[in-house]
Amino acid sequence: MPELRRDPIIGRWVIIARERGKRPYDFIIEKDKTKGGFCPLCPGNEKTTPPEVLAYGRPHHDPNGPGWKLRVVPNKFPALVIEGELDKRGEGIYDKMNGIGAHEVIIETPNHHETISTMPLEQLQLVFMAYKDRIIDLARDKRFKYIIVFKNFGKAAGASLEHSHSQLIALPIVPQLIQEELDGCLRYFDYKERCVFCDIIRQERQQNLRVVCENEEFITICPFAPRAPFEMWVLPKRHQSRFVSLDDSQAASLTSLFSLTMKKLDTVLPNVPYNFMLHTAPLTDFGLEHFHWHIEIMPKVNTVAGFEWGTGFHINTTPPEESARILKDSNPTQKGDLDEQ
Amino acid sequence: MSSDTKKILVVDDEESIHLLYREELEDEGYQVISAMNGEDALKLFESENPDLVILDINMPGMDGIEVLRQMKQLKPDVPVILSSAYPEYKQDLASWASDDYIVKSFNLDELKASVKRHLQGS
Repeated sequence: MPELRRDPIIGRWVIIARERGKRPYDFIIEKDKTKGGFCPLCPGNEKTTPPEVLAYGRPHHDPNGPGWKLRVVPNKFPALVIEGELDKRGEGIYDKMNGIGAHEVIIETPNHHETISTMPLEQLQLVFMAYKDRIIDLARDKRFKYIIVFKNFGKAAGASLEHSHSQLIALPIVPQLIQEELDGCLRYFDYKERCVFCDIIRQERQQNLRVVCENEEFITICPFAPRAPFEMWVLPKRHQSRFVSLDDSQAASLTSLFSLTMKKLDTVLPNVPYNFMLHTAPLTDFGLEHFHWHIEIMPKVNTVAGFEWGTGFHINTTPPEESARILKDSNPTQKGDLDEQ
Repeated sequence: MSSDTKKILVVDDEESIHLLYREELEDEGYQVISAMNGEDALKLFESENPDLVILDINMPGMDGIEVLRQMKQLKPDVPVILSSAYPEYKQDLASWASDDYIVKSFNLDELKASVKRHLQGS
């Protein structure tokens, strides 16, 4: 019999279609065709991007030239603009403001064919460091209330370029989805005086039904009420509400576990398109006791259609216990000094 | 036609766009050549050596993004302006290979300003 499950944080319901029980080989994943030709993100083509706002690894002082290990550039054709005032105003019952924001692209590697699951650990750590450095810099702009960092991988997940990159958007408002998560966390905290994510980590480690992998500082789980088969969350074990609080030792630990997590996904569902999103506290909220930053990884294997849009429900054909078991048992070839258990 | 007249290749599958762009750009003193699809555009791009390309995105067969990718591989210094009816393609990072992105409109001032800007110094 199918099972309805409720997410303990925002109360979202999902239908776990147990009897359909799709396994990895049931999902048809077509590998994106490799496109030749010009890539605007490759070394040597720096002039096709706007001037960089951050670069790592360039040995000589030659901004916007080659030799970099990672670059961050503003969006060439931005949907939101950084110059101007918000000018919040009403029009009857409707609210609006000017489209102020920042949209940046993190070019994660100079190597066109490298992916998150194949890049060396030191390169992946630069990616996380870039997220942190850009959030810290943009947070100085008091017009911004929230910064969302996300990655689209594969055409079906919204990536039009194969060169590995992620994106960051600074917004003048806290997005509704994040606010719902904050509100849900606060409700739980008001009732139990504990962080709901800390409780989830504790219970998942005790039950060991949905744990994919863990190390000293981080854990990857398939959540109890996942929207998609093989959805995973990567969480710091120690309570922390802001991603920018990540210290160097934690960053190394996150890199190690995140790399393993993505290698497992790539082993179980080779070349699967996916999105990942960093959920962190709003810029103006410091040291929240009730919120816990984390990264949500959503493989793109199911279709969001009328039922999902109309109800907010999702139908998941692979129970998270099954997803976690398959991912946990997968054995990607490891490179680097991993300290997973 | 003087030898320093700049040559512009307009690539679009709509005849009306060709007529509109040709009239406006020839009035500005440019020579205009036309292609109705991506394959023909690439042939003209190689044989006619245009100084600038105005390129539609949504075309049957090879789409404008693929044409752009190949043009920039062949001659990266030739400016290419994407001209689309759809502003949402701006979010497509593949469009970054272009030099500008103009949303189609009957007011061609923005397009003409972009053409002028990208032909300066070429």
